[in-house]
Amino acid sequence: MGAVLPIFVLTVWEVLARMGVISEDGFSRPSRFFVAGAKALADGTLLEQTGQTFAAAGQALAMAAIAGIALGALLGLFRPLERAAQLTIDALRPIPSVALIPLSLLLFGFSRNMSAAVAAFACFWPILIVTISAVRSIDVRLIEVGRLLGFPLPKIIAKFALPAALPAIFVGIRVAAGIAIVVTVTTEIVTNPRGLGFAMTMSAQSLQADLVWATLLWVGVIGWLVNWGLERLERRWLRYL
Amino acid sequence: MLEAQGVSVTFGAQQILRDVSFSINEQEFVCLVGPSGCGKTTLLRALAGLTPVSSGRALFKGAEVHGPQTALAVVFQDYGRALLPWRTVAGNVALALEARGIPTKEHPARIAPLLAKLRLTDHADKFPSQLSGGMQQRLQIARSLAQEPQVLLMDEPFGSLDAITRQELQDEVARLAKDEKRTVVFVTHDLEEAIYLGDRVIALAAGSDDRAGRVAEIVSIDLPRPRQQLGTREDPRFLEYRHRLYRHLGH
Repeated sequence: MGAVLPIFVLTVWEVLARMGVISEDGFSRPSRFFVAGAKALADGTLLEQTGQTFAAAGQALAMAAIAGIALGALLGLFRPLERAAQLTIDALRPIPSVALIPLSLLLFGFSRNMSAAVAAFACFWPILIVTISAVRSIDVRLIEVGRLLGFPLPKIIAKFALPAALPAIFVGIRVAAGIAIVVTVTTEIVTNPRGLGFAMTMSAQSLQADLVWATLLWVGVIGWLVNWGLERLERRWLRYL
Repeated sequence: MLEAQGVSVTFGAQQILRDVSFSINEQEFVCLVGPSGCGKTTLLRALAGLTPVSSGRALFKGAEVHGPQTALAVVFQDYGRALLPWRTVAGNVALALEARGIPTKEHPARIAPLLAKLRLTDHADKFPSQLSGGMQQRLQIARSLAQEPQVLLMDEPFGSLDAITRQELQDEVARLAKDEKRTVVFVTHDLEEAIYLGDRVIALAAGSDDRAGRVAEIVSIDLPRPRQQLGTREDPRFLEYRHRLYRHLGH
């Protein structure tokens, strides 16, 4: 059912482009960019670029998840710590992640780390904030059960607090995964000469509208696949719900 | 075994318990009754070391209770909040074994008899959300037994179950307490349940005066065991105890 709308749009697009109603210089037309996309897939360039973007975004998400969950659990469990960190968080969070591109370039040069660092910064906040609130709203009864059974605090965090917060943390990770791809591609478009973002810049500069469109749609497909994968994982891990 | 010596608990300006004293013998089944708001749950939590006392002392085997200890297991009324929803039935029982540092390979052999005892064997791989209320409460009891406690502190464990399940579980708990030779402190607002189960019933007083939160009366229940849902409840002495304790429930 969900495929009806895109198929309709692509068909109308194709017809309008063939009739000359919209300019093929910018809009290309679906039949062309499917061919361009298939070619790029076949010669391996698209996959290589995808791998680069994917590696940077994955690295960003992993770093943000580790830091965000660890710090979020700590701040969620200990109210005074959260109060102490509040100002820092409120001051850092509004910094647009793309504003870090020059700094990251200075630090890491043209590399995967450069994109990953910027994207990790962007991904960190939703994970941190969701984890803090999830850990804070854990039922005290569960913590009491942990104490009554005789677990020390670190075990209570690992066996009770984190699993209880997991469903909410997962929401944060899914949001962050989308952000990771968006920001990684952005860094590639702006400066970093690698990945899908750079591919689009290059094809635009050489006036290959079909390849720009093909890459753009491919990014959409990738984003959809990532979300689908995470949903599957979530259903597996949270099958008790 | 368990002792309260002049226990008082205050929350802010509100005094919940006043100068509560009693002692509970080994393998005794003692029920705490009282109308809601009389502090019976607070008293149980103080005995468990979950709620600090404002004055007086809670003692276990002569030593003051300062915090939770594994010899004292608590069974909560709200089983839904006390079970880990992400762990299976067996996994929830295993939790108590993990806390005691028992090697994982010994777990199955220890979990199986407990599940059998509480008729959960066929549900070992289910999650709590897939069980009925009565089964979830039996699971919580199984987990507390896996802790191998000397005392079971039960806080209105059957309060949110239907009447039939409730009677079933009453008999099961009475049998378990006897077979396993555990001391039980059982909080309930149901007078008949208290008399039916208890060797002794401690009634707490409620109200707005300074009698509230004190021990109103302690009654020894002299009814033959094992008790019978019909026979025991029709015993003239049962009715006599009921009359005697009834007035403490705010009537």
